[in-house]
Amino acid sequence: MKKFRLKLRCGLFCALLLLVITPCLTFAQSGDIKVTGNVADEKDAPLPGVTVKIKDGTGGTQTSINGTFTLTVKGNATLVFTMVGYNTVEMPVNNKTSLTVHMIENTTNLEDVVVVAYGTQKKATISGAISSITSADLDRTPAVAATSALVGKIAGVTARTTDARPGNGATINIRNLGNPLYIIDGVPYSTNNTVDAFGLNVTQQSGINAFNELGLDDIESVTVLKDASTSLYGLAAANGVILVTTKHGKKGEAPPRLGVSGYYGIQNYTRYGTPSTAGQYVLAQDQSTQNLNLQNLTNPANPLPYSNTELSNWANQVDQAHLNNDYFKAVNNPNVPQYNLSANVSGGSKNSSYYVSFGDVSQDAVIKDYSFTRQNFQANISSTLADGLTVTANVSGHLQHTHNVGVPGLDDYFNPFLSILSMLPTEKEYANDNPMYINQTHNVNVNPATYKESVTGFTDDLDNDVALKLSGEYTFKFGLTLKALYDYEFGHEYFDNFEYTYNAYIYNPKSGNYDNRPDLADGVTPDLTAGLYGNQNPYHESHRRDATHKFSQVTANYQHQFGDHNISAVVAYERNDTQTLSLVSHSVPPNNIIGIQYFADLDTFNDTRVDERTESVAFKLDYDYKKKYILEGVARYDGTYIYQPGHQYGFFPGVSAAWRINEEPFFKKKFGDWVDNLKLRASYGLSGTIVGVNAFDYLAGYNVNSGSAVFQGTYVSGVTPRALPTTNLTWTTNSIANVGFDFDILHHLTGTFDVFVRSRSGLPASRYDVLIPTEVGYTLPNANLNGDKTQGFDGQITYTGKAGQLTYSLGTNFTLARTENTTIYKPRYGNSYDQWRNGVANRWSGNPTSNTPVGPTFGHHIIGQFTSQAQINSYPVNIDGQGNRTLLPGDFIYEDYNHDGVINALDEKPIGYAQGALPYFNYGLNGFLGYKNFTLNLDFSGATMQTFFRDFELKYPFQNGGNSAQFLLTDVWHKADVTDNNSAWVPGTYPSIRVNSNGLSIFTVPAGGAAAANNDFWLTNVHYIRLRDAILGYSIPPAITKKFGINGLRVYVEGANLFSFDNVSKFQIDPEISSTNGLVYPQQRIYTVGFNLSL
Amino acid sequence: MKNLKKYLIVGILVIIGSLASCKKGFLNTLPTNIVTDQQIWTDPHLVTGLMASFYDRLPSEYSISVNYIDMCDYDEAMYSGQNNAANEAHNNITSYANNRNDLYDNNDWRIIRDLNEAILNADKYGAATLDVPTRTQLKSEFRWLRAFMYFQLVIRHGGVPIVTQPLDYDYSGNAAPLRQARNKESEVYDFIASEMDAIAPTIGNSVVAKGFADYSRANMYTCMALKSRAMLYAASIAKYNALLTPTIVTAGGEVGIPASAANAYYQKAIDAANVVINSGIYKLYNSNPNLGENFYETIRQKTGNPEVILVRDFLVAKAKKHLFTYDNIARSVREDNLSSSQASPVLSQVESYDNLDNTVGTIKTNDPVTGDFIYYTNLTDPFQNKDARLYGTIVTPGAPFKGSAITEQAGVMVWNASTSTYTTSEGTVLGSSYTDGGLWVAASGPNRTLNEVSNTGFYLRKMVDQNALSSTRGVQSDVWWVWFREAEMYLNAAEASYELGNIGNAVTYANVVRARAGFTGANLFTATTGQPNSISRDRIRNEFRCEFAFEDHRIWDLKRWRIADQLFTGGTLTSPTTNPDAIGYALYPYRIIRPGDPTRDGKYVFVKLIAPRFKAARFFQPFNYYTKISQTAINNNPLLVQNPFF
Repeated sequence: MKKFRLKLRCGLFCALLLLVITPCLTFAQSGDIKVTGNVADEKDAPLPGVTVKIKDGTGGTQTSINGTFTLTVKGNATLVFTMVGYNTVEMPVNNKTSLTVHMIENTTNLEDVVVVAYGTQKKATISGAISSITSADLDRTPAVAATSALVGKIAGVTARTTDARPGNGATINIRNLGNPLYIIDGVPYSTNNTVDAFGLNVTQQSGINAFNELGLDDIESVTVLKDASTSLYGLAAANGVILVTTKHGKKGEAPPRLGVSGYYGIQNYTRYGTPSTAGQYVLAQDQSTQNLNLQNLTNPANPLPYSNTELSNWANQVDQAHLNNDYFKAVNNPNVPQYNLSANVSGGSKNSSYYVSFGDVSQDAVIKDYSFTRQNFQANISSTLADGLTVTANVSGHLQHTHNVGVPGLDDYFNPFLSILSMLPTEKEYANDNPMYINQTHNVNVNPATYKESVTGFTDDLDNDVALKLSGEYTFKFGLTLKALYDYEFGHEYFDNFEYTYNAYIYNPKSGNYDNRPDLADGVTPDLTAGLYGNQNPYHESHRRDATHKFSQVTANYQHQFGDHNISAVVAYERNDTQTLSLVSHSVPPNNIIGIQYFADLDTFNDTRVDERTESVAFKLDYDYKKKYILEGVARYDGTYIYQPGHQYGFFPGVSAAWRINEEPFFKKKFGDWVDNLKLRASYGLSGTIVGVNAFDYLAGYNVNSGSAVFQGTYVSGVTPRALPTTNLTWTTNSIANVGFDFDILHHLTGTFDVFVRSRSGLPASRYDVLIPTEVGYTLPNANLNGDKTQGFDGQITYTGKAGQLTYSLGTNFTLARTENTTIYKPRYGNSYDQWRNGVANRWSGNPTSNTPVGPTFGHHIIGQFTSQAQINSYPVNIDGQGNRTLLPGDFIYEDYNHDGVINALDEKPIGYAQGALPYFNYGLNGFLGYKNFTLNLDFSGATMQTFFRDFELKYPFQNGGNSAQFLLTDVWHKADVTDNNSAWVPGTYPSIRVNSNGLSIFTVPAGGAAAANNDFWLTNVHYIRLRDAILGYSIPPAITKKFGINGLRVYVEGANLFSFDNVSKFQIDPEISSTNGLVYPQQRIYTVGFNLSL
Repeated sequence: MKNLKKYLIVGILVIIGSLASCKKGFLNTLPTNIVTDQQIWTDPHLVTGLMASFYDRLPSEYSISVNYIDMCDYDEAMYSGQNNAANEAHNNITSYANNRNDLYDNNDWRIIRDLNEAILNADKYGAATLDVPTRTQLKSEFRWLRAFMYFQLVIRHGGVPIVTQPLDYDYSGNAAPLRQARNKESEVYDFIASEMDAIAPTIGNSVVAKGFADYSRANMYTCMALKSRAMLYAASIAKYNALLTPTIVTAGGEVGIPASAANAYYQKAIDAANVVINSGIYKLYNSNPNLGENFYETIRQKTGNPEVILVRDFLVAKAKKHLFTYDNIARSVREDNLSSSQASPVLSQVESYDNLDNTVGTIKTNDPVTGDFIYYTNLTDPFQNKDARLYGTIVTPGAPFKGSAITEQAGVMVWNASTSTYTTSEGTVLGSSYTDGGLWVAASGPNRTLNEVSNTGFYLRKMVDQNALSSTRGVQSDVWWVWFREAEMYLNAAEASYELGNIGNAVTYANVVRARAGFTGANLFTATTGQPNSISRDRIRNEFRCEFAFEDHRIWDLKRWRIADQLFTGGTLTSPTTNPDAIGYALYPYRIIRPGDPTRDGKYVFVKLIAPRFKAARFFQPFNYYTKISQTAINNNPLLVQNPFF
């Protein structure tokens, strides 16, 4: 704590902490006096609008247009002067009645304290690559999950929101390295982010979940460790570390501060495909049949399904039977609410502090009856019991409830999206438009009339967690602090999916009946033995999971200053014990009414127990000389239960150094007037990753409950021999090297830039040069053989300025990260083509987060489209493997890459980045304007170097026998007259439609190609920039609010995702989705009004 | 006060610190779901569990629970389910892959390895707790399972190395000592025969705690059933491979069996079959006087069924179940709101069933003289007086299933008096009414383009469950999968006898099966030549096709007879080959609307057409007779000789 001893340069933090640790300081007793003063900048220009507050007291004022103020205070009070863009100044009154204050313009806040691993550190003395963000920047976004609030705001953080259903966050990586380690209030959480078939995290205590489930308003700060400083976290840290700190009260802040904030927003999809109308659909059906007949591929020629009269009836919607049915409207329920309300109270006495909060966030889905709610509570209480002895309790928890309609199939969100494009616009939701009767339709499974809880049931997912973090710390007078922390968390998840049976009907105009099953041959009498329409599949599945997470830690921290030498050292021992108990049960419920499961109806009951344990010792040593030369060493001795006894512990050291060159006299002399700060940094560290191994792979023996048979009518649970034990594989060793610099120049411009390389060695691979005969029946376990490196740069630059009453700032941050397969164990190729086509060694990997080497994505290059039959007939290259006789005008012309006259897999070449990967390049732009009481924030985020492949609904007309998006049915090559095969071709963007047309070049690759091969017509290398948030705020002047006893009140309006510039708008998809069929919940455009109130 | 404070400090730190104190072996947790060798061989329940796991791992090309979509790949059926590129590929087989049915990777050989280990471990770990007869029984059963694996290997790849001991690599960097060359194809068949003879006396399980054999584990008769099938395969390969040009052989005999060996194998096939036939335990199932229903029950009847010899059983109550019914039930009687109709039997399979008057089973659609349609009063009329196995195997238009008549009607044909032609109208909505108020498209189709409705006009009956809710995903079905049944013993003996020139015996054996299908008197086979009911090689082979359709026999029979390449000759649909066997044909019923013509109006006509979703004629090439040994396997063991053509 001596680090923060009294200095001349006083920051708010220092003063506060000073008060905390020197509670016995006495001040001279004195009475009230009237103080007047002038506030000016460095050039003696008066500063209006400066807030003047009495420290630890009530009351305050603002400076006038001349920079003057008057205030009545006690003679021993201290005044605090704050103003955006200037260093905060504290000045003791010392019984003076007149004060002159100079405020220094500042953009750097080098005295700011940043949360780092195992403690806090002033920004000035940090030697590693660290980014941080505080609550003010996080709260701006109307995010339900905390990860979403990070997007576009931190250098080094890459993100993509592939599915934005209520409650979902963004996929966050640090420098595209993979899922990072989350540490919340000093406690690490699991990096296992595996998701089961129901979309639930396998590990309930996964870090990303714990982070996303925090109340956004409870987060004080987020720090991102990107380089060698992560070595301090050993085996879990290879992908970077995200340190999260929740809010605490401030000691000595006598009157409680009550804060209430809330917003209410209206959500809609940013984009979703518009289904074709009935008129467009029937015409396209006829065109498809015509095109197939033109190809002479069906025998005999098919009749056109719709006559000319029918086409015009549908196009003109002549009667009730020919009305267009818009299933986008049927499925979606636009303008649904999202709201958040949170309240907190904080404060402290001389010896204790508290922060207590409650938050409630709710997000409805644009699809009816789907919702997400979460209540958070947090109580952080700290008390100094005696000199140097402080105990702290952080209690937090949440009740989270996801509610879906129980649509058959695993993911309840999939079918509604499927139905938008797959319901035919010619068929009705309800039989004969009578809402009593669900229409059977061509596939009742996608009829939106069934997506109601009352019809098809429900899925509830309750996720309730409580965490108790207790710590005690004692600081000795000589600078040593001992701290013990114990964390107990209990998480319970209850997933309950009950799908009802329901009937559907077909209206029989002859009998006037609504038939719930097929009729006999007379077309009137129901066939009572036939199956009922609708869904007769009763289904009830429950998951219960209890996760107990026990974490304990003992830390010794020593800080001392020897003259100009500052030393700080930490040793920590910690242990982590997580037990997860899961029960899965499935029953065939006898009816739709009884909502719980009975033994007699059960057919599945699975009980599993997983114990995960780690144990570690961490070391950290910081040294600086005059805050000019800075050195940090970190290390962790880390153990995990994953490996066999005797091979469980590893040692991971790291080191970083920084030189604050601006502190050198020669530099100051030459550049001091315009360079405020220039710090050069370098670091190197090691860490490990557990890859390619499962718990207990080191054990031989037999797996129980594996396979089964029925012997003589009796079920026998199987016992299966396990694979060869894996005993020689260990973690990969990762090294990260980082070089960077921080600067503050021209008093307005601040920035950071880093270049990094993370190299991994020992990625699991097979030692295939020792060939074991297949007949042996096993393969050798993988060994630590391969390696890769991820490299790139990141940085941020911010300009902060001021003109009159206008304050403004403009910042940008950016990250580029991609991966190269550097070491492949003895790569072997049949020939140079094999090496080019299939080799991965020394190539930029398709997917930076992959643990097995992958190469670039190959596919065909499309050089154009045929414009006439004559062109096809004379085209020299055999595209379809059948002499091009299956081609029609509009079909793709494939590049004959190897010039052999035929198109096949040998013509593929690299065409894209990895499918589903995060973009290699991410960037953000953050703008701020402040004028008087108005503020305007504009946050842009963008990305590029990412590939999206279209498939299924975004590629095939009438996919699944359904409808299609308008662009797929109308913007196509077609004959001018659907009944005249000799009419002219009309060009379009897409090839002519041929439904169910397997083997045709537009939909599958040419002869000899792999079925899944891509071509670059259907592939888009996506780039986008979107306005993520635009916020206009107004702070009601204190003069007014004070009348109502309110300290501050800010109101704002906000628009999220208002627009984006990108190259996928023509497919009507959000640029961040990765699902190839586009059937996912896209990001939301949200219009919000909100307020922040402080009392 | 000062002391109190000190105690407070110490106390709190000790309490919190103790929660975090070091504990030796903290990381050494133990799993709950792994047992050791020492544990398993002392607990009879765990040993039975091991046995269950082995039976569960036995491979087949397709079965009722795995890969049944592959039923759509030959001349039994085509695919009519949900369309996507992977599934539609079953209707677009321009060439069978050279690695089709590959069973030569580590996981396949691991079953043999685990069996070899089990045979050793039974004595190594079980000696103390299991008595000698028990261990002998277990080892015999493991050997049966191993022989079954070798049978599955040899019918796919030809001769493979016969490995009877676990091979263990010593991590020396040199695995050469573990290499074993391929045995001759004949040696593998001989190995199966000798193993079966050796273990039959000791395998136990035989008869019969509760008056029936244990259908789900091998016994001495299962040994003979496997031996009979293996010997018949070896014999056919020996005889018919030699008749191919060129013959498919390798110099070392890894592929190909000398023709001279054929007769001995045929005799062994008869002898083994006779052990089962004469056992007195197994008989053809003949419990239902409705012969069609009787044949359906033959496969799925679980109690008092004397025909089945070995099955893979399922039990819905214990969630041991499969989706075969969900995926294959006729559309109009499905209970779930998805799937159904995947494997649609093709017309050639339907027509392979003879009429009961012993004439060929071609469905008559048009009058041979006038060329006009034949107007049927009932949908079921064209399928009357057929081999009962047609009913038991396939749901034909109008046939009952699950208590319901499966009406199939693709559309209507409306008479246009001015042009004297019919206009065909096919609706797009199943179960819809035409403008005259009558049925337009039946709830079960057929339909040209809709998914999950038959594309051929036929549905599967065999193995499809009629129990309530068995076609739902939530409940599913537990119809069992039959590996061996008595009818095969008769047909094996019939074919072998015929090939040995013992026509009389062939007739006797074959007629047992044919009689069960409804043929009587002069319509049974005769040894006399030149008669309508004369037995012939082709007719015996057709018996296999009719009897074992969809039971994973067809492609292996076609391979051993060496006629697959003559049936599946490839080509495209627009330049049809003369060979309809290679193409999936459909039969679409239409209702006639011809007011004023009472002999035609309201009647049904049938149109034969290439199934509209069928895209390419099947193409089986000589290299498909043996599955390629993967390059990986050859790299791993350079002693392996590659199969011909690769």
